Amino acid sequence: MKKGVKLTAAALLMASGAWAQAPADTLQLSDNTDFTFTESQLDEDNDAAQTVSTIVGAKSDPYNSEVGYLFSPMRFKVRAYDNQYSNYYMNGLQLNDLELGRFGYSMVGGMNDATRNQEGLSAYDYNRTGLAGVGGATSVNTRASQFAQGSKLTLSGCNRNYVARGMFTHATGLLPSGWAFAGLVGYRWANEGVIEGTFYNSLSYFLSAEKRINEHHSLSLVTFGSPTERAQQGASTEEAYWLANSHYYNPNWGYQNGEKRNARVVNDFEPTAILTWDWKIDDTKKLTTAAGFKYSMYSSTALGWSGDAYDPRPDYYKNMPSSIFDVWDPAKNNPDYLAQNPFLLEQYYDLVDYWRASEANQQINWDRMYFVNRQNEAAGGETLYYQERRHNDQMVFALNSAFSHDLNRWGKYTVGLSLNSTKGMHYKTMADLLGGTTYTDIDKFAANDYGINSIEAQNDLRNPNRQIGVDDKFGYNYNIFVNKARAYGLYEVNRGKMNYRLSAFAEGTTMEREGLMQNGRAPENSYGKSGQAKFLGGGGRLGLTYRPSGAHILSLNLGAESNAPLARNSFVAPRMQNNFVDNLTNEDIYTAEASYQFRLGDFSGKVTGYYTRFNNGVEQTAFYNDQEERFTYLTMTNVNREHYGVEAALKYNLTSNFSVNLTGTYAEAQYVNNPLAQVAYEGMNASTLKTLNTWKNPVTGQQMPLCVVADGMRVNGTPLTAISLGLNYNVNGWFFEANLNYYDRVYVDFSEYRRLGNVLPYYVSEGFDDKGNYLFQNVNADDLAKGAVLYDAQDGHIVSAYSAEQEKFDGGFMLDLSIGRYIRLAKGKSISINLSVQNVTNNRNLRTGGYEQNRDDFYNTGVAKAYTFSKNSKYYYANAFNAFLNVGFKF
Amino acid sequence: MALAAGLMLSLNSCMDDYDEPNTDGYLITSPESLGEVNYSIAELKNDNASLFSQTNAFEQVKEDKIIEGVVAANDCGGNLYQTLLIRHIDESKPEGDADRDQAIVLGVKHTWLTPYFQLGQRVKVNLKGLYIGCYSKLPKIGQPYYTSSGNLRLGPVLLQLCATNVELVGQPNPDCAECQPIALSPEWLRATANRNYLNYPQLVSVTGTIQEADGEAIFAPESLQDAGYGVDRTLVNSVNNTKVTIRTSTQNDIAFTVMPEGEHTYTGLLSYYSNWQIQLRSVSDIQ
Repeated sequence: MKKGVKLTAAALLMASGAWAQAPADTLQLSDNTDFTFTESQLDEDNDAAQTVSTIVGAKSDPYNSEVGYLFSPMRFKVRAYDNQYSNYYMNGLQLNDLELGRFGYSMVGGMNDATRNQEGLSAYDYNRTGLAGVGGATSVNTRASQFAQGSKLTLSGCNRNYVARGMFTHATGLLPSGWAFAGLVGYRWANEGVIEGTFYNSLSYFLSAEKRINEHHSLSLVTFGSPTERAQQGASTEEAYWLANSHYYNPNWGYQNGEKRNARVVNDFEPTAILTWDWKIDDTKKLTTAAGFKYSMYSSTALGWSGDAYDPRPDYYKNMPSSIFDVWDPAKNNPDYLAQNPFLLEQYYDLVDYWRASEANQQINWDRMYFVNRQNEAAGGETLYYQERRHNDQMVFALNSAFSHDLNRWGKYTVGLSLNSTKGMHYKTMADLLGGTTYTDIDKFAANDYGINSIEAQNDLRNPNRQIGVDDKFGYNYNIFVNKARAYGLYEVNRGKMNYRLSAFAEGTTMEREGLMQNGRAPENSYGKSGQAKFLGGGGRLGLTYRPSGAHILSLNLGAESNAPLARNSFVAPRMQNNFVDNLTNEDIYTAEASYQFRLGDFSGKVTGYYTRFNNGVEQTAFYNDQEERFTYLTMTNVNREHYGVEAALKYNLTSNFSVNLTGTYAEAQYVNNPLAQVAYEGMNASTLKTLNTWKNPVTGQQMPLCVVADGMRVNGTPLTAISLGLNYNVNGWFFEANLNYYDRVYVDFSEYRRLGNVLPYYVSEGFDDKGNYLFQNVNADDLAKGAVLYDAQDGHIVSAYSAEQEKFDGGFMLDLSIGRYIRLAKGKSISINLSVQNVTNNRNLRTGGYEQNRDDFYNTGVAKAYTFSKNSKYYYANAFNAFLNVGFKF
Repeated sequence: MALAAGLMLSLNSCMDDYDEPNTDGYLITSPESLGEVNYSIAELKNDNASLFSQTNAFEQVKEDKIIEGVVAANDCGGNLYQTLLIRHIDESKPEGDADRDQAIVLGVKHTWLTPYFQLGQRVKVNLKGLYIGCYSKLPKIGQPYYTSSGNLRLGPVLLQLCATNVELVGQPNPDCAECQPIALSPEWLRATANRNYLNYPQLVSVTGTIQEADGEAIFAPESLQDAGYGVDRTLVNSVNNTKVTIRTSTQNDIAFTVMPEGEHTYTGLLSYYSNWQIQLRSVSDIQ
């Protein structure tokens, strides 16, 4: 309890202190994604409605204005773009996190009534704020004078991550003195959310003050934050869901003293301040300058254990019944085989019975970890199980200045400069020794490999064998510095039936790691600074719109740009050492889209086709590698992807207050090459790591560049097919909406590790057939579906490489309804009531995402393991029936 | 601001705060008595002589046969894997009687068994439903499984079955008779008649010089590991040149310990396959 209070109070003091010392500072935001999460997990804890990527409610675009809300239950990403390709601006300042590229909506969580005044921008729209990403941008105006005068109380109840929410907003409007003030206090809470074992505890504050100095100058200051503590849901395998009899089984919690305790708890607080100066030079010229400061404190807990202790995760594969024999193999899962091996079913059902005997057996056994620690210490040992807290803190200074000039009736332009300096601080602390008292800061896996007295075992050679207590830093500690400067310009001309938009930017990025520990596995390149990596980027976009009449609009948009890689992907093993990834280059993005928008009487709509090509991307995954029992980094460079598809939004007004909508997309987003790969294990020194990144040609014996066979893999975690049929009706202050949505082609997050060239099975050709085609008689279609590399027997060249098939989830329907009533009261007061119900039919079988386990199906002997990892991916399911009741009272 | 601060202090308190559990009496084994001991390790071996004489074989026990013994070796040093040596000395039997002091391995499918099964802990095991037999000639209680080479072998018992088939009796006493190794003489080691399942597994000590010791070499460097992730060293007795293999896995404290030069006494779990072999429990087994 004390800890939480301390954190909040300290943050408040810090935020106000920062303001006192530097009134012109503000922020930059981040969702502080923990580096150990896979892509699929990144957004798992955010509210579904907040995870929608890209532009929010681009009002001029009937497709983009709808899909964010419509498809949010399935965590839909527009065009399957990652959030890093969308920008978020507040009062003229971009708030994307420079390390991760993304904007984390948790930063403005619980302050919806303060951030409602927002505008969605497509990548090609002209605007006075700055450049949108290829996925668009959201620009929020929170200047105090823009708030409607008065007060508002909003109360909400739901069965989602939280169960209750309250917000109170008050705004003075623009006072005669030229001042305007607005503020919000909100709170979201759940002792237990809709997912068992989770909780939610979040306060929000937002304060805005503005001074209209004169008709030319105005200063606005906003500061906000949302200290949040929340417990997370984890994905699990279908087998675990079956045993627990629920697709909402959460392996992250367990009983301690009979009380539910979650192992993964996030603490997040990102106090931010933005000072904006609006200078209206004259009626045609305007200069908007915004400066911001943010100091974010993000941490996420996780269980840790030494190399000898048993994996405490309840759904660890050795605890699963299917670890006894390969239930997926028809040759084994049949009556004859099982009759010959009766012990297999005995053990299988022993585990099934254990899982089903009690709920506690399905969850983390906290009491057992305490017991083991105490026993081990009593015997002269150390704590074996612990809970660590991984911190990703950040300090950001940002500045954006944009000058806009309306040249005449037809033309206008905006030029600007933005600067951002970000310091990411990454370390972990001991959250809980779980009944133990002694822990030495050594790497247990390295101790197993090199010996406990080896240099390699030390996490910090400058403080060898340091004893760690609660809240002490251990394991790793480093800073990442990222600086970015960007100059940009936008130009728009309207001439007759034509509209032209041109935008361009040039930017420079530097990044550097500073190690604060001297790691024993990398003694020469872990402590101190890495040296700066520098990247120059830039690009431009051209938009053409032709309006032959008021009823038809044709648009063609083209773009090309080159962006620096993200810092989070740029270091080989950032927790351990300073080395940059090999082949680190800019990512090149080429975009093209064409659209037709029309209005024919009561029928209106827009249809868009698009093509986007990403070249030379860099992606890194970091995960606990079950195969090697080590924390592993796998970085892909030279990643090429194609995203293309069709989007449509059609509307037919049956009457003036009753309409039918059809909105949907059919998209493709896939990897189109086999990227280069670089693997690093945290517990290994440089010479051992060298051996990991080799791929020996089985024919010639020569080493080949290691790559991931990813060609044909789809982008995951979003439906590539999403269609909605909706009805809208409003009358006398009531409104009704019903949407029947169909989702399909959601793909699992593929494991790069399983598709490494040196992990995939290989086959060598056996001559040629009559037509001169290669013969591979020992390979069948099933083998190829599991992934394979085929070699020419003569010179060893790769004839073809097959990636293991990527699982596509079953499609399905979801029905969402909402009903609302707006009641106007006397003296300008009003009440709004809204009830939205998602998944009315309670479809509990729609997967929103999932990821493959990073482990292959075979022993080194070539014998298949009993547990088939390739058949046991971990999944997330869309929420079951859920409702959100919102009541707002304006007074 | 004051309002916000006050609200934060009052509302945003930590929810992730728990009382530490009392783990006195925590068990993964049966909390209830399994019943009276009605069988012994010696009887088990004698009644199944043909089974225990084989290299790899097993059969399931169908009746409630409850044996007892003391944990004389476990994975305290990380060298023994999923292995508990259960040893019982029947004080009613005379010294020299083969049935007086017998031991068998209880395999348990779990890493780090030591906290649950400390050295000197007396246990009862109800064999009903479990399997008995040999793994590479080593007498064992376990359950069958297919190895990574695809061979059917007698493997460890599911940990979950400890809750129904194993009971802890009293508190551990590491000074008990069962935890004292039997010192094997060079003559005993040489005698071929001793190479039978009645003499192993057992907690023993052997004195000799490690052939490979040079003052620098460690017990089990990864570069020398075999398919079983272990390294064999040869302990030579100076009296009659008998040789005993010291087998060590590559990932534990013993593995990285420099092999001492000269004559020393080594304590560990004795087995026999093509030669006598011992596996040390921990570094402290080197004297």
